[in-house]
Amino acid sequence: MKIGFIGLGAMGRPMAGHLQRAGYQLFVWARRPESVGDLAATRCATPAELGRFCDVVFTVVTSSADVEGLALGQDGLIEGMAPGSVLIDCSTIAPDSAREIAARLGEKSIAMLDAPVSGGEQGAIDATLAIMVGGEAAALERVRPLLECLGQRIVHIGPNGAGQVAKACNQMIMVAAIQAAAEAIRLGAASGVDCAKLRQALAGGSAASRVLDVMGERMVKRDFAAGIEARLHHKDFGLVLEAGRKSGVPMPLTAAVSQQLNALMAQGWGRDDTSSLLRVLEIR
Amino acid sequence: MKIGFIGLGIMGRAMALNLIKGGHTVSVWARRAESMQPLLDAGAKAASSASDAAQGNELVISMVADAPDVAEVMRAVAAAAEPGLIAIDMSTIAPAAARQVGEALAAVGVDFLDAPVSGGEVGAIAGTLSIMVGGTEAAFAKARPAFECMGKNIVHVGASGAGQVTKAANQIVTGMGVLAVAEAFAFAAKNGVDRSKVREALLGGFAYSKILENHGQRMLDRNFKPGFKSWMHEKDLNIVMQTAHELGLCLPGSAATAQMFNAMVGSGMGEEDSIAVLKLLERLSGQE
Repeated sequence: MKIGFIGLGAMGRPMAGHLQRAGYQLFVWARRPESVGDLAATRCATPAELGRFCDVVFTVVTSSADVEGLALGQDGLIEGMAPGSVLIDCSTIAPDSAREIAARLGEKSIAMLDAPVSGGEQGAIDATLAIMVGGEAAALERVRPLLECLGQRIVHIGPNGAGQVAKACNQMIMVAAIQAAAEAIRLGAASGVDCAKLRQALAGGSAASRVLDVMGERMVKRDFAAGIEARLHHKDFGLVLEAGRKSGVPMPLTAAVSQQLNALMAQGWGRDDTSSLLRVLEIR
Repeated sequence: MKIGFIGLGIMGRAMALNLIKGGHTVSVWARRAESMQPLLDAGAKAASSASDAAQGNELVISMVADAPDVAEVMRAVAAAAEPGLIAIDMSTIAPAAARQVGEALAAVGVDFLDAPVSGGEVGAIAGTLSIMVGGTEAAFAKARPAFECMGKNIVHVGASGAGQVTKAANQIVTGMGVLAVAEAFAFAAKNGVDRSKVREALLGGFAYSKILENHGQRMLDRNFKPGFKSWMHEKDLNIVMQTAHELGLCLPGSAATAQMFNAMVGSGMGEEDSIAVLKLLERLSGQE
């Protein structure tokens, strides 16, 4: 099976490597050719050309507009991909965008799965990503062996867009948890408590969480190098709040956290880790 | 002056009527043709399209619902543009969207003013609107006689987009103001205190505001008829929150308030006045 891969960033690069090691022939297109590096893959001139070669194409990029451009734009995948082929978009984008792109591709009998992932760069490297999939079950079954190269927990949530809804929910819970950890550690520090011990104690109780483990440790060590760039969470919160607005669902906590993320961006920490929410609390 | 007017809803109709009363020659156009009739009865000419409303006029004014509508109407205006025309949008849209419209019109030699209003239907009918204007000084000076027919407090705030920035700031203050009064009333009631007495006492102190006086009275009367519909306040606060997101601006109070209006729309109160946020608070605290 020939696999196309677009988006060789912090997440995409290790993911492409796993597919290649599993024996699949890899085709890539990169906006910045240098990002291909030493990856043994056939370089294509345009997304359309890549689409002509491949049975399955992965995209792992940043925004709804990026995916729309790659899939539907000039020299886009839609111009090259054959009927029956599958686009797997692992980016985090708006559910509505995912549905629209799927509908347009569907007119040409190209299947699309929205398959955003959770687990961060480390999860991508370890091939332990959680993958939440929206789209037709039959299309998922055809590509499941590929996804199993990338992650262990692959859940078919529902039709197109459902994967992105799940990812939005994931981001709400995760970043709110980071904010909660930051506030706890800030309170601890301001009260003269050793934050490393605080975190250690909490990790054994009801407040234990992956976020407290990973992000809490970064906060204690004051290691704010990304990890996950905070600007991406900031972007995601725009999507999440827009989805809440369209559904008329009040999300007071998410809204409050989004303002802390706005402050973080204003400080110029967008390319640092989201554990920088601690530093926002320290502004005085 | 010869003025084209596009968009004849609750606000637009009253504003266009005041232009006619002020002695201006007004041609009107609206998507729903039947909404033009009251203006034609008052002496306006019927335009056949948004482009037609611009043709041969010195000013063309739009008062429509949202940014895509403004962009569409102003595209039509640009297509019919004659040198010296001034286009004015009095709708509430995002500052960035207003700047884009201004740039597109400038490219065909049309001056653009963003001039959103505050004061509601009552102010539109009475000709006492607050008008906050962004754009060039020269265009503002030419348009001023028209503004004076529609409003009282007319402020040229700054360059293109500044009017919409001001309107967004207005919606921050009024949105949080309505919620603040509603919370104070819920607080008083839960404590068994007569809220009308609370209002009376507060009116004499630092908590005095028009919102406490007018909206507060309507809360006491449980008169939730719009006025200003809560879905529109939600829309306006969304403009605030999206702009804050783009700029990296921390607005925790606005964010919380926007979620209350979001909840109102979600629970079917979107068509009620924004003061119905009091009912939502009462439900949340089991005060019904």
